[in-house]
Amino acid sequence: MTPTDTRRSFLTRTSTALGTAALATLLGRDVAVAGHRQPEDGLHHTARAKRVIYLFQSGGPSQLDLFDHKPGLVDRQGQDLPASIRMGQRLTGMTATQDAFPVAASTFRFARHGESGLELSELLPHTAKVADELCLVKSLHTTAINHDPAITFLQTGAQLAGRPSVGAWLDYGLGSENEDLPAYVAMVSGSGGQPLYDRLWGSGFLPSRYQGVKFRSVGDPVPFLSNPPGVDAGTRRRFLDDLRALNELGLESIGDPEIATRVAQYELAFRMQSSVPELTDLSAEPKHVFEAYGEDARKPGTFAHNCLLARRLAERGVRFVQLFHRGWDQHRHLPRDIAKQCADTDQASAALVADLKNRGLLDDTLVVWGGEFGRTVYCQGALTRDDYGRDHHPRCFSVWMAGGGVRGGHVHGKTDDFGYNVVENPVHVHDFHATLLHLLGIDHERLTFPFQGRDFRLTDVHGNVVDSLLANRRTT
Amino acid sequence: MRRAPWLALLPLLAGLAHGEDDVRFGRDVQPLLARHCLHCHGPDGEAREADLRLDTRDGLFAEGSDGRIVVPGNPAASELIRRITSDDPDTRMPPAEAKKPLTAEQIDTLRKWVSAGAEWEGHWAFVPPQRPTPPTSKFDEVARNPVDRFVLTRLEKAGLSPSPVASRERLIRRVSLDLTGTPPTPEEVDAFLAEDSPDAYERLVDRLLASPRYGERTAIEWLDAARYADTSGYQFDGPRDMWRWRDWVVEALNANQPFDEFSTEQLAGDLLPNATLDQRIATGFNRNHRGNSEGGIVPEEFAVEYVVDRIDTTATVWLGLTLGCARCHDHKYDPVSQREYYQLFDYFNDVPEHGRAIKEGNSPPYVTAPTRLQQDRFAALADRWNVAQVNWGNVEPDAAHEWQMWEKTVDPTKLAPWTIDDGLVAAVSFDGTIENTVEDAPAAKSTGEITFTDGPRGRAGLFDGDSFVDAGDVAGFEYRDPFTVTAWVKPEESASGGVVSRMSDDVYSDGWALHVENGRVQGLFVKRWLDDSLRVEAVDPLEPGVWQHVALTYDGSRSAAGVRLFVDGEERKLRVLLDALNQSFASDEPLRIGSTGTKRRFEGAIADVRVFERVLDERVAPELQVLSVAEPIGELVRGRERTRAQAVKSFQYFLRVAGPGKYRERLANAEKATRALIEFEASLPTVMVMEQLAESRPAFVLKRGEYDKPGERVEAGVPTALSESTNRAPGRDRLGLARWLFDPRHPLTARVAVNREWQRFFGRGIVETTEDFGTQGTPPTHPELLDWLATEFVRTGWNVKRLHRLIVTSATYRQAAAVTPALLERDPANRLLARGPRFRLPAEVVRDQALAAAGLLVERVGGPSVKPYQPEGLWAEIASTKTYERSDGPDLYRRSLYSYVKRTVANPAMSVFDATTRESCLVRRTRTNTPLQSLALQNGTTYVEAARVLAQRSLALDDPADRLQWMFRRVLVRRPTNRELSILTGALDAHREHFAEHREAARELVRVGDAAVPDATDPVELAAHTAVASLILNLDEAVTP
Repeated sequence: MTPTDTRRSFLTRTSTALGTAALATLLGRDVAVAGHRQPEDGLHHTARAKRVIYLFQSGGPSQLDLFDHKPGLVDRQGQDLPASIRMGQRLTGMTATQDAFPVAASTFRFARHGESGLELSELLPHTAKVADELCLVKSLHTTAINHDPAITFLQTGAQLAGRPSVGAWLDYGLGSENEDLPAYVAMVSGSGGQPLYDRLWGSGFLPSRYQGVKFRSVGDPVPFLSNPPGVDAGTRRRFLDDLRALNELGLESIGDPEIATRVAQYELAFRMQSSVPELTDLSAEPKHVFEAYGEDARKPGTFAHNCLLARRLAERGVRFVQLFHRGWDQHRHLPRDIAKQCADTDQASAALVADLKNRGLLDDTLVVWGGEFGRTVYCQGALTRDDYGRDHHPRCFSVWMAGGGVRGGHVHGKTDDFGYNVVENPVHVHDFHATLLHLLGIDHERLTFPFQGRDFRLTDVHGNVVDSLLANRRTT
Repeated sequence: MRRAPWLALLPLLAGLAHGEDDVRFGRDVQPLLARHCLHCHGPDGEAREADLRLDTRDGLFAEGSDGRIVVPGNPAASELIRRITSDDPDTRMPPAEAKKPLTAEQIDTLRKWVSAGAEWEGHWAFVPPQRPTPPTSKFDEVARNPVDRFVLTRLEKAGLSPSPVASRERLIRRVSLDLTGTPPTPEEVDAFLAEDSPDAYERLVDRLLASPRYGERTAIEWLDAARYADTSGYQFDGPRDMWRWRDWVVEALNANQPFDEFSTEQLAGDLLPNATLDQRIATGFNRNHRGNSEGGIVPEEFAVEYVVDRIDTTATVWLGLTLGCARCHDHKYDPVSQREYYQLFDYFNDVPEHGRAIKEGNSPPYVTAPTRLQQDRFAALADRWNVAQVNWGNVEPDAAHEWQMWEKTVDPTKLAPWTIDDGLVAAVSFDGTIENTVEDAPAAKSTGEITFTDGPRGRAGLFDGDSFVDAGDVAGFEYRDPFTVTAWVKPEESASGGVVSRMSDDVYSDGWALHVENGRVQGLFVKRWLDDSLRVEAVDPLEPGVWQHVALTYDGSRSAAGVRLFVDGEERKLRVLLDALNQSFASDEPLRIGSTGTKRRFEGAIADVRVFERVLDERVAPELQVLSVAEPIGELVRGRERTRAQAVKSFQYFLRVAGPGKYRERLANAEKATRALIEFEASLPTVMVMEQLAESRPAFVLKRGEYDKPGERVEAGVPTALSESTNRAPGRDRLGLARWLFDPRHPLTARVAVNREWQRFFGRGIVETTEDFGTQGTPPTHPELLDWLATEFVRTGWNVKRLHRLIVTSATYRQAAAVTPALLERDPANRLLARGPRFRLPAEVVRDQALAAAGLLVERVGGPSVKPYQPEGLWAEIASTKTYERSDGPDLYRRSLYSYVKRTVANPAMSVFDATTRESCLVRRTRTNTPLQSLALQNGTTYVEAARVLAQRSLALDDPADRLQWMFRRVLVRRPTNRELSILTGALDAHREHFAEHREAARELVRVGDAAVPDATDPVELAAHTAVASLILNLDEAVTP
């Protein structure tokens, strides 16, 4: 199916359900290549968020050491996890053969912060300063137990490869607010740790134009962005003028409108050659910004640098910015390694939220922070007084959201005394996706794409919007 | 990044689909029912509401609770119409919560159908094709073969006319790129233009079909369908070797293997009587799916996914059906029940495979698959081995005789100690002091007091469990390294502990060990106990309190099959305790003697520890027997009762050291020939294949599709709805399934296949949803043409080249692609084919064309995948595998078909042009037009270098006036028009002027890429021509012929 047709079938299929205003917006976007959209937005209902910055923490951060305080575990240190808690649920092959499942209490202290009194670990001193902005979900749960299926599930709503990522769905549904930049930008940081895959920002069965563009920290941020050595902007401009003239002759004799499209793509590429370097050039950022994000923000390839770029992308109307930070897979030496991870991510994550707020962008920018699953309360490997490891744990994990129409200073969901099972208000990954789309003005049941004989959606045939995560709508 | 021209055309497209007044069930009604009703009133028994089905004739005309569902000719009496038009929200269908409301126009269609008599027909694709007679139309004089008569009749009906034939230049370019993936050379073009025989074009086509490039081009779509790649996908995405299967495909396509054989061998080549190596290689098709090697997975979960992948792929490729829905419940739209899905499961379930894939390399089952060249080379090596063996055998009796004489005469006191030391990396002795006698080895130190005791010879170390020896950083092997460890041991009763090791203490225990457990020798190779480790044990225990020589050899094959244990030079029978090693076990721990790690300490005496960085292989020489003899050579030569090993050592000493050179040379030759054979065999490529388990594994319906929820047991079989028309009952194995697919009365196989080929040449299938011929797929634009082609394909013995010839020699294909605004308005997507095909080249052809035009293309068919240019650091950035090691020299310029495909990290130069990720089966690529494509063509090294080399070659032309024309023709085949030439000339002048002022810039530009720049070249002239060559390669017409 050509992109032309998929767009058409998308429209014909949703047009009956769409208001004329939203339809006009959609049409307008496709017609006006350069123009910015009007801010009313929303595909199916009024959007609370216009864009998302998703700080993905790859590897599975430990909810027990960061967000989900279980003071009672200290007294149970080293005791075998009761069967009444484990309930025979499956474990990964890495610990399924362990003789015992000794409880490992977190070695980190927790305290309450802000007016909301949100409880956070001492590992997150900066995040604590924006506690009142955070909507902390402690009851997220997933089906997958290993990295690849789990991260693929979080990103695409399915454990196996082939489905579009969240960002691709948003691009398909809402398009871009800035035609000189991709609608979906992914950035990676953190060396070592679990590998990442193109499919995490891929377009699956959607046309490939909806796939995220991974901005790189070495070489060209966007593949092939720079002119080859010896070709300057003037030469490129001359080249493009000649190319346009020749292509227009082709259009004259062949009449295929695809030729006109290609001419437009070359012009857009030319604009990207200046808009992207302008975006990634941080030289005009004042000193206090680096103080806020941390000096790491000066170093390309760090999480802090990517956070700052994320803010700049948000300012420029990029729909979906996703950071992937690696290194949270702490099967061993968790206390040592998680402290390092937090040192790399805490300050910049919090600075981003505060910065967006100061710039008035937080209201319509949804920030999400979280990984693909949680970690077990029982120790993997040898348990000592100050050292332990934790295996993958799909039954509960914590993520936080901020801005973009979510309730600040709010905790949703509850886990049992072991931080093992959800006991109140479970939120499945599908529910999380449904809620995310809802915030962007999309009914997750109606954003569909026909593939292999059925209408696919991000949430498959599941998902419920979690209303209690949503902020009360302001009446202005 | 957006485009819009289609928006204005929406109503026109709608008119195209519904232009005709009559309402037909299959075309107009069934799709509406499928989309809006069948979810609750369809084949899925579980989800069915009100016991009403609208997917069958019986259901539609049944008596409902409130009257007949459909009363032919009487909409008012039909419950169906009443319900969809009701004002009462409780009665109205579809219900609001289904969010699938019918439009007024759709309701009208249903009403019209009922009024007109409610004629019912089964889904067209499940009824076997009948061969239609090609129709006639007023355009018949244009027709060149029956294909055209169907197309022209459709045009006439729509009030359209065919386009004139394309120019010869455009035609030769189009057909060359379509059939071979490379452009014609100017010489080939000139020859074609000069030929005036009426069948010049047909002869050109025949030439192209006979070219080896044909198979390379034709393979592209098949590799997509087969999800072929060079890595395993999933988390680690390690390398695998399936290129022998890829080469089999190219070869089969070039040989024009009939499609039924081509398919049968891929589905079930291993089950054919006396299956050849090629037929077994072919079955790699269904091993191309991804494999998960992630630590900690539940293997059973992924074992199911592999089978599911095979079903889905097989169904998409041969049946044109998407069966995935039926994995969890009865199919909502097509007549395939969940039970039937698991009957298909049974066909693909009996493979001796493991759910956790091998991390680096092929996962069993696989076969050694030498290329034809390698088979020849192997035969030659075997011949040489035979000769060397015979040569040695001829002198061996003499040597033995001479040895006996020598033993009698030699003075034993003058014989220096001798043993095996080739490849020795550590040799620790305990003869009163602890010492590593290998040169430059680190010192070996005891961690505590070690007392000495009598050894098999001299003194030995006595390990009482208190201390061990730290021999430093030697013998740091990883899991691909072959090595051997030997030692003398005298264990206590039921001793446990390490003899020699490099291993850590915690659960991860990275490392290896020659270990004793409960008195039995073990070999340990561990990344992580217990799910990532290899442990073998000698069945018979050691004798306590007696000196014995133990040896462990490991050949680097990462499996228990590559481990051997020896006691006193004799190989011992092994028990495999764990065989799941999947990562390197390289360890930072030192070499230790007397302990595995620091804690599992040996109790008993140890002497003379030796570690070799090679396998001491008994097939080559009896080196382990020699090592198992403690006595120095001087004590062995005198005639007394000797063990066999002692005699062997003496004879080996004679042959290798003391005896005459003539024996040494022949023995060395024989050993060399043996080693060469062993090494060559180990170097041969392997390929994963399908095999049948000796004992069939039962298949079950999996509830909700979950691996751990087996339900009813099922036997292999195919969906009833598809087998009603076929003559043959499907067999119970894959071969039976393949035979059933190629039953001449099969409703789908031939239609699906010809449709895919049509798509290749016209950019769109007759059925647009190439992957879905089910009730949700798009109906064919030319149903009769599809059936005619399908029956013709079967009639001609599934002859693929013949089908391709039929298509490309049709007048339909030969039409000019130019389009008028009026035609564009009527049929923007060219569904009715009133003009020739015009669509962007596939990613592979975009690149190959540029290389070919520049004269850079290196044409060598087959071989391991190559790694052309890609932006640096891409793999390192996100993957945990090694960095991308770019190819050098000719391998930079091979056909893109041979480029390495890493599933989790694509080469952006390919992916921006919609090349697939190969994560799952795909039979229809999307085709986009994006700014990233423009950037790749302008700035990517491949295209800058191709432009420069094209320019370089143009400079060799004597007349400067010819250069632009020549470059233009190399790419676009036709000659530039005057207006085009004047733009190109203007561009050349401007760039020349610019580079003359910026000579350094010119030098930089022409240095892009590895291809050499001739010394004498003027950089300004070359840079200016490069810019123009790049202009030509960037033209829309360059990538869209």
